[in-house]
This record gives sequence, C-alpha cells and structure tokens, in this order.
Amino acid sequence: MAENILEINNLTVTYGQFKIITEVSFKVKPGEIVCIAGESGCGKSTLIKAVLGLKQLGAQVQEGSIILDGRDITRLGVEERRQILGTQIGYVPQNTRGSFNNIRSYEIQYKETMNCHGLPFVKADAVDVFKRLNFPDAEDILSYQPWEMSGGMNQRMAIGLAVLQKPKLMLADEATSVLDVTSQKEVIEELAQLRDELGWSILFITHNLGVASHIADKLGVMYAGRMVEYGSIKKIINNPIHPYTRALLAAIPGKDRKMPVGLEGRPPLDGAEWEGCNFMPRCKYACNECKTRKYNLVEVEPDHFASCSEGMGEGL
Amino acid sequence: MMDTPILEVKNVAKSYGKGKKEHKVLTDLSISLREGEVLGIIGESGCGKSVLLNLIACLEPLTKGQLFFKGEEYTGKKPKDVCRWFQIIFQDSEAAFDPKMTIRQSMHENLKLLAENQDDADKRIEAMIQIMGLAPELADRYPRQLSGGQVQRMAIARSLVTEPNLILCDEITSALDVSAQATILQYLQQLREMRGLTMIFVSHDMALCSTFCDRMAIMKDGEIVEIGTPEQIMDHPQHDYTKLLLDAVLYVK
Repeated sequence: MAENILEINNLTVTYGQFKIITEVSFKVKPGEIVCIAGESGCGKSTLIKAVLGLKQLGAQVQEGSIILDGRDITRLGVEERRQILGTQIGYVPQNTRGSFNNIRSYEIQYKETMNCHGLPFVKADAVDVFKRLNFPDAEDILSYQPWEMSGGMNQRMAIGLAVLQKPKLMLADEATSVLDVTSQKEVIEELAQLRDELGWSILFITHNLGVASHIADKLGVMYAGRMVEYGSIKKIINNPIHPYTRALLAAIPGKDRKMPVGLEGRPPLDGAEWEGCNFMPRCKYACNECKTRKYNLVEVEPDHFASCSEGMGEGL
Repeated sequence: MMDTPILEVKNVAKSYGKGKKEHKVLTDLSISLREGEVLGIIGESGCGKSVLLNLIACLEPLTKGQLFFKGEEYTGKKPKDVCRWFQIIFQDSEAAFDPKMTIRQSMHENLKLLAENQDDADKRIEAMIQIMGLAPELADRYPRQLSGGQVQRMAIARSLVTEPNLILCDEITSALDVSAQATILQYLQQLREMRGLTMIFVSHDMALCSTFCDRMAIMKDGEIVEIGTPEQIMDHPQHDYTKLLLDAVLYVK
C-alpha cells in the first residue's frame, strides 16, 4: 500500500466554462477520515465527482492529478474506471432515494451491483455487515423494498452496500445531512467504527462542522473553489485562522445558547476572475492589502495550513 | 383579556384512513401560545409536527378536538378564512413560489388576496424585503435566480407583508447551510424585537431552537412528551426521549 490512499495535487476542475475548483491539493492517509467543509456551491461535491471521474456528471479535470493508492487515475478510460469504482472507491451520495429502485427488493439490487463490479454476492456476508453496523432486523432487511423504509434506513442500506464491496477509500457526500439527528449520530458512529475495524479511509463532505468534529481527523475548509484552511481538525477548531473558517464556526448554534452569527452576502459567481482575495467582500477583517493579496496556503503551525491570517488572535 | 392566548389547540387528534387501516398521527395534543411568544416544536421525521401546523392553518380537517384563535373557536373553518391570521413558511420555498412569476408579482398576489389596504403595495413589499436584509432590486428576479437562503428570506418577507398574527415555520432552515441558517435566524430575531412576532418554529435541530425559542416542545409519535423553557429542556431534561435527542446533538467539540 502506498503512503497515501488518495493524493489530490493542484487540482482544477471545470463544468463547461465554469471553474469550480481551483488548485486544490491534499492527501488522505490509510485509516484517516478527512472532512471537507464549506457552504453550498463551494465545490465540495465537485471534488468527489472529480475523484469518481464519471463523465456523465460533467466535472472535467483541467489541471492537476488524482492519485489513488499510488496509481494516477486522473484520466482513466471508461473500462479501467469501472474496475476501480465500487471495489476500490466506494460512494455514498446525499440522496440515496434516487440511487435505489424504489420497487425492487434490496437483495436484487445488492446482487446486481455486486455482480456488475465483478464480485460474487453472498447473502451471509451482507447479513454480517448489517449486524456489524447494528441494523435492526438484519436477517430480513434484504427482502424489503426501498419504499418501505425510512430515509435514514435507506441511507444506511446504501452505506451497507458500499461497505460490502470493501473499497480502500469511501466517499461520503453529505451522507448524513438528510437524516434526523438521532439517525445522523448512528450513521456517523457506524462510519467511525468501520474505520477503526477495517482501517478504511473516508473522505467525508459536509457543511456541518459539528458532524465533522465528531468523526474527522483532518479538516479542509473550502471557499469558492479554493482550500482556505487545512490540517488537523482539533487544531483548526481550537485555533481557527482563516476569517471564513471563523465565520463558519460562529454560525453553528453552540452549547451556550447564544444566537449563531450568520455570514452576509454570497460567494463570487462560479469562475469569476478576482483581483486579490475573493472572500474580501464578506470578510470583517478585510483591509487594503486584501485587494491585491494572492492566494497562498501557508503553514501556521505543524499540521495546520491557512491561506489568510488576518483574524488570528481575535475572539470569534 | 390580556391573558387570552393567541392560539389554543385543545385535545386535537388526527388520523388517516379508516377501520383496520386507520393510522393515528396525532393523539390528544394540546398547546397554547401567548402573543409574542416563539414556540419550538422538535421531533424526528414522522412524529406529526408538520401535520400539526397544517391542522392549525385549517389546511386539513381535524379528526377530533378544538382550535381557538384569541379565545374564539375556529374549528372546521376554511383555509381562506384563517389565512389572514396564519401564514405558513415551508422548507422548500422555491417550490412555494410560482416559478413563472417574479418575487414581486408573487407578493402582490398575496397582498391582493389578504390585505384590506392596497395602498403603497410596492413600497410595503420593498420595505419588507429590506427588513430581511435583501436588496429591493431582487424582487424583480424569478425564484430560480436566487440562492436557497435568499428565497427563504423572500418567503418570510412574503408571509409578513400581509401582517399575519402568527407565523408557522416548517423546518425553514433545514435545507440551508449553516451560515445561511444563522443569517435567517438573525433577521427573525430582529423582527421579533421590532414587531413582537408570534411564531411556531418546527425543527429537528434542538441546538438551533434553544438559541431562539421562548419555549420548546418535544414531540414523539403524535404526542408532546415534554414542554419547557430552553433552560429546562436543555439543562434538566425529564423525559427519556428528550435525553435521547439531546444526546444526539453534535456540538462542535
């Protein structure tokens, strides 16, 4: 096994003429859970689409490379890609209602998916996975059809299917944001448990830093297609540096029952060319230098990088 | 008379289907709301929170029970009789706006239907939009041309422009990301201070409700299992279900 399960190097991704991700780099080590956070439209889902590399999803890698376990998968052909999807890269989307056929049993759909990836389907293995993940009714659940299930249960069946294929890397795109708080907590605990038992790596996309702080080892904060802060999640949460990370943290309702503080305005339009810092119009620490400041991710302490340190040292 | 609650829901029950297929959603539920109060209703999917709002706004008939507005019974009235009092805001507001009308046109429709006074409609619409922290020019856009958070703020502006007595919010922030959610809460808070808004705020997010509501009601399987101030609910929960929900709140740690 290579030193890193996933390496994203200087990645730039576009949809047609729109530049969604600009020069993003990070690594996922074996057994590590990396969370990518940011508001809607910042490019976090596009990142996952780029790793999956499905042309139908529209994301085109313009520059940079994606290395999976030592192998460059940036520009694989359709057949080669089919061989790694599912078996090496697992994927759990946000809305699994659309991923399963509503009126066919899970068993048929599990079997089809496994066979399609060239794997045998053994029912006992599936039941084993369900038991390990503490699913209620593990013995019979395969005979149900998705419409009979709650949204939360359906989501967990999608996770079960991804788990059964034993991928090296699991991609979860807002996998818990449609769930109730109680099922959300269960799913998060299940993912963490899998990591502990099987030594998996998970790339977890979320806009909820509360969720991230319960599961992740590393955190990447994205704003308008760029990684503005990256590093150990404990360090970032205890000592957020970039003004955007600070705004994101201030927007989360905390234990102290103080009103959360919102962030006014919108991120720049997709692909808009900006002189200087593109967070400036919304930033409360903005100063004259920001007008010409170039994006530059620098190490502020070991294992903690940020592209701006204007807000450093002040309270949230 | 000051003590008459603005809304009283007495022993309300609601079930769908008949005979063997009867499915009880609400069983004997009572709440009352004072003027100027914000009541949070918290529960998981399927516990009946949205049904309760629909019943209050007369969008569906009750199976049992009574509803009172300022002490007068209004059980069994039509939506058009009560829509001056109550306005609902839904989770997916883009779907609640007509996609072929600009925001301004949609708001005019509301005013035409609901407000007695038609003067200065445009001015009132723009003033309301500004209170929600948006530029008045945005009124001439179509719903799809606004971000999720902006559409939601427009929906709040639309519901307030007719000056209803009570606003019913059904998971209005759960489709938004945290920063847009916090912005909406800030504007609602500001509105409360300006106009003494009365509101029922349905959500599944306890942490969120605890920052904003005067009282919180915990709902499970069609019943309210616990009701109290945020301090009581968050710091001294009594019911096991409340404790379970509290335990599932993921604070940043």
